[in-house]
Amino acid sequence: MKPKVAFFDFAGCEGDQLQVANLEEDLLALLGQVEVVSFREVMKGHSDNYDIAFVEGSCTRLQDEDRLKQIRKNAKLVVAIGSCAAIGGINSLKNYKDLDSVKKVVYGESGKLFDSYAARPIDAIIPVDAYVYGCPIEREDFLHVVKSLLLGKKPEIVTYPVCVECKKNENVCAFERGQFCVGTVTRAGCNSCCINEGTICWGCRGLVDNPNENSHKEVLIKYGLTVDDAIGKFKLYFGWQEAKR
Amino acid sequence: MKKSSFEVDVHHVTRVEGHGNIYVSINNGAVSKCEWSIPEAPRFFEAMVVGRSWSELHHITSRICGICSIGHTLASLKATEAAMGISISEQDLKLRKLALHGENLQSHLLHLGFLVLPDLLGVGSVVPLVSTNPDEVNTVLRLHRTANEMSNLICGRTTHPQRLMPGGFSKIPSIKELLALRKKLQDSIPSIQAVVELFKSLAVKLPNFKRETEFIALTDPSEYALYDGKIASSDTGSAPAKEYLAYTNEYIVPHSTAKWAKHVRESYMVGALARLNINYKRLSPIARETADAFNLLPMCYNPFMNSIAQLVEVVHSVEDSIRLINELEVAGLKSQPDYNLPTVKVKAGAGVGAVEVPRGILFHDYNYNEKGICTKANCIIPTNQNHGNIQQDMNALVPQIVNKSQKEIELTLEMLVRAYDPCISCSTHVVKIR
Amino acid sequence: MKIISKDDFTDFLNALIGDDSWNVIGIKSKGSKFAFGPLESAEELRLDYDVSLLPPKKYFFPQRETLFTYDLSEGFSTKNPEEPKPMVIVGVHPYDIVALLHMDEIFRETKSDPYYFKKRDASIIIGVNIQRISKWNFSSFMGCDVIDYGYDLMLTDLGNRYAINVGSQKGGELLSKYGKNVTAALARDIQIAGQKKREVMGLSQQKFDFPPELIPELLKDSYTKSGFWEKHSEKCLACGSCVLVCPTCYCFDVKDNPDLSLGHGERIRTWDGCLLEDFAKIASGENFRATRPTRYRHRYFKKGKYLFDRFGFISCVGCGRCSSNCLPDIANPVNLLNDMYHESINSGSQIAASTTEPDVNIQTEGNIDYVPKLATVIKKQPMTSNEILFEIRLDGGSELGHKPGQFVEVSVFGIGEAPISLSSSPTKKETFELCVRKLGNVTTKLHKLDVGDKVGIRGPFGNGFDVNSLTGKDLLFIAGGLGIAPLRSLFNYVLDNRKDYGRVFLLYGCKEPKELLFGDELAESTSRGDVEYKSTVNWCPENETWTGNIGVITTLIPQVSFDPERTIAILCGPPVMYKFVIADLKAKKVHDDHIIMSLERRMKCGVGKCGHCQINHLFVCKDGPVFNYSKIKGSPEAL
Repeated sequence: MKPKVAFFDFAGCEGDQLQVANLEEDLLALLGQVEVVSFREVMKGHSDNYDIAFVEGSCTRLQDEDRLKQIRKNAKLVVAIGSCAAIGGINSLKNYKDLDSVKKVVYGESGKLFDSYAARPIDAIIPVDAYVYGCPIEREDFLHVVKSLLLGKKPEIVTYPVCVECKKNENVCAFERGQFCVGTVTRAGCNSCCINEGTICWGCRGLVDNPNENSHKEVLIKYGLTVDDAIGKFKLYFGWQEAKR
Repeated sequence: MKKSSFEVDVHHVTRVEGHGNIYVSINNGAVSKCEWSIPEAPRFFEAMVVGRSWSELHHITSRICGICSIGHTLASLKATEAAMGISISEQDLKLRKLALHGENLQSHLLHLGFLVLPDLLGVGSVVPLVSTNPDEVNTVLRLHRTANEMSNLICGRTTHPQRLMPGGFSKIPSIKELLALRKKLQDSIPSIQAVVELFKSLAVKLPNFKRETEFIALTDPSEYALYDGKIASSDTGSAPAKEYLAYTNEYIVPHSTAKWAKHVRESYMVGALARLNINYKRLSPIARETADAFNLLPMCYNPFMNSIAQLVEVVHSVEDSIRLINELEVAGLKSQPDYNLPTVKVKAGAGVGAVEVPRGILFHDYNYNEKGICTKANCIIPTNQNHGNIQQDMNALVPQIVNKSQKEIELTLEMLVRAYDPCISCSTHVVKIR
Repeated sequence: MKIISKDDFTDFLNALIGDDSWNVIGIKSKGSKFAFGPLESAEELRLDYDVSLLPPKKYFFPQRETLFTYDLSEGFSTKNPEEPKPMVIVGVHPYDIVALLHMDEIFRETKSDPYYFKKRDASIIIGVNIQRISKWNFSSFMGCDVIDYGYDLMLTDLGNRYAINVGSQKGGELLSKYGKNVTAALARDIQIAGQKKREVMGLSQQKFDFPPELIPELLKDSYTKSGFWEKHSEKCLACGSCVLVCPTCYCFDVKDNPDLSLGHGERIRTWDGCLLEDFAKIASGENFRATRPTRYRHRYFKKGKYLFDRFGFISCVGCGRCSSNCLPDIANPVNLLNDMYHESINSGSQIAASTTEPDVNIQTEGNIDYVPKLATVIKKQPMTSNEILFEIRLDGGSELGHKPGQFVEVSVFGIGEAPISLSSSPTKKETFELCVRKLGNVTTKLHKLDVGDKVGIRGPFGNGFDVNSLTGKDLLFIAGGLGIAPLRSLFNYVLDNRKDYGRVFLLYGCKEPKELLFGDELAESTSRGDVEYKSTVNWCPENETWTGNIGVITTLIPQVSFDPERTIAILCGPPVMYKFVIADLKAKKVHDDHIIMSLERRMKCGVGKCGHCQINHLFVCKDGPVFNYSKIKGSPEAL
């Protein structure tokens, strides 16, 4: 019996669902293993009877919470795909700004039409069973999680930083090139794809579980970044995770 | 004729990017309410980039959209480069044009194959087509894959491209890789022609609806404008990109979290049909033949033909990409360092970047202070500019089909929305809280 | 020594590159650095480099390697990877050549690694003497700056020509086949070559403040230095850079990568590093090196002491890659060891090099086999809510032939491999038993298998109990929780050969009654009359019945009277148990070498290579899992 899967999206750019569509021929192989009962972007028809729910996008307003809780009730497994759903993602940049937003959280549902609060990952609202990190997700990573769930095993989540993959790929370290990278405290699993393309790691997969943040910030400053800029780098994707620590 | 009363209430239209609702209420055969509304969550990008550095803006704004992230990145880079007086080399210009073609191909093929084709073949999604029309599905997948490989080669990645940066590229393909790409594109032409034939046989299923409206797109005397050009209107003349506000005039609508736009009429349309209507003469040869074969000539006022215009652009993008690679081969590809970081002289300034993304004309407008920190940003998304036109089209279309069954009305209205290929989460990037 | 002009050398290389039977690898520029990669023309070669980003080890022990592919669609079949194409690697510095010699000995010890040696045997190393030295390089202190062995050909740049030393027959043959106008060296060439080498090495910026021969003793003296390791590792980012770029590191991880159909896939091995947070973590969540100071220290000890004791070399060639890649700059061995030396001298320690060299005896008993044998589940007996006893038979009729105390690596293809102790005695011949606790991915999947399902088995591994040394003695088995599972293999062996042993006691404790394993079987053993069995639980919940002892396992020890002279204590249980039981046994005058225990760590390869199960200098999978207390009481990481 093929497990039934459904895709949902909240506040995000839908890039992760596009990555699923970008599986090309692997998509057909995937469809051979699962039955897609709901994928609004690609098909009409929806069923509330699904085993695995893939959720993209952050929760950014009260009305999202009810939708999330309903999904949790219907699904046996909930998988957060993409950084917005998994760690808050780039949406959490706004959490540091705009006092009005902050007021909304405090005062609740006024300005109903444009209700919004601090962007948060979906596990701030419901328990999540598996994560596919990244902005966007890596196709191999997504398939790894899917294969693990199909095999009935808990997907392995890497706990080491991007440096491991970057060194294996024999890159010239960003710091040696006069640039500033947060790969040292970012969770690996992307095969250091951005450094492979000639730039730096921006931290889209979120912090590792026990980052030595002070040491990393010291490294940034040692190599020439100002204190404010160093702190600013951490706000890009780590906004929610930092606030929690 | 039966005079009936019912509602058409489509909550979250399927097979479009983002969340949009259609609500129509029919009382005794007359339309009492017809509304296209956007409940998508706003994400506040224009607020998020304030305070960030010029070197980061393209990375952040790429995340406005997963499908047109190359387009957003390029518009963002053009705005930053305009603000700081940064120029790019001829070679980088050609590579950026290739990047945009790759995005156009990927997006149009996805739209045509996955989102529009099911309607024309009478099914709910591409999934059943995997068993009933495997050849067609495989052809679309193969072409989609070539488009992605093209974007990966030029930009590093289709979604949120890493190689694009202010002043150039962090890494460029080798001439060997570009020539291999050219061969792939040339080899794909028969498959594209097969898709064209398929749509020719199905085009009769597109509703024959016409409503005069204004079209806005980039225009350039030397080529079919996608990366560069002036803003052109089918009603008025053209103007440099930095005067965009005179054309777009965004305003807030109560039932929508996305803003709407208008110029000289109640609304206007952007996208493939707008581009074709304005720049038809500059289509590449086979693309022009393709347009002619569908009788798609300026001025076409049927929004459902936007999908066919996209198909024509698929042909054009393949032909034009081959031309660009030919030019790069003749000029000789100049190599650059392995981890390239173009030098930029940071200064205060304001700049606008306008680019045609698959769904229409996109504007990014930035202000920077002398430290290169963004002090103000404005982004006008194609789909924002189309929302008003969708509403006007619905207002005109519904009375024409009011006597059909509820199911047919629902399908026709959904097809109307899909024809625009809207990117709704892009369009709700910002809201100012009252 | 031979001479070849630079132009002729270019032709030699281009001829090699043009010959399709070779993969020609050379040192090229990458960004502002250098890396070994495929050469398309001799022009790309940069023999004037200082150091490559990754050492050439990556060609013999790659970052990622397929051990075998498996196919479950028709029964079970595996395929080994293809034979490697012969390769020539041009531009290897002397220290990297010495590092390869280290790796050769390490990969040959006990069991030889065919994956490594196939590539090594199919390759030719053309070395080059150092022309430009990185500021972190200290290879002259490690004796690796200039060498006269280990290469097939060695180049020295003499300006408009190269001097070539031929180091092997195949090097000489390569030179004859593709090289033209190669002449004999003149006397002046030898002198110029010597001068150039000396010049370069004088430029090294690193300096030890003490003779490097002292390193092993210095380390030994500093294991527990208060605050030293904490101070030095405070800034560690656990990024693994220092070990991943190291030419002498060889730790690896093994995992399964199924394809989307789930019916076939591959088992791969990838580089791993002991500095990474979860390196020493096991399925239960216990992490045997959970803190930065312990991991940081382990790297220095493995390279400077444990490998020295085993192979007689300090496993560091002074390339300086670790130092240059460490962003907080804490990985430089020269800085650390200098600091250690000064602290030792200041605190009054006398450090002198050991007068005896380690006894190096590298034995190879065949190849490692990473491909499991297929086996079938014959019987499945749930024992508690978490543990199931499996009876397994190897397909094809062969016997496992294990010793009590050994373990096997059990594969569930697509999920992975896990080490499980053998629970049955080898006297039970056609099948063997495994008591499996459901904990991680593999064991959870095992629990879902049915009778008739297939698993993969590798092994048996480990040293097992030395049953001969136990004959005639009294045996005191002390088991805690799941520890009864491995002990049962010996216990049942003893019962099957009862007359060879003296008195036999078994003390067994669990947290609560429902967790007791083999409860009925053990209780029955008392009816034999020649075994004393006592059990205990930490507490008994209200809904269960228990009439036996209540208290931790140590409360049973006073309840048996045994003669410490004649008795051997055999222990197995959760890590926390050992300290307390050993303390109570010693209070009863049991001698250190009369205490034997079976330990658990994360055993991935089973043959003492991957590094995960290492505790100080010992590998649990190879030197254990059975250890005599007198042998490990000096190892702080053991208990």
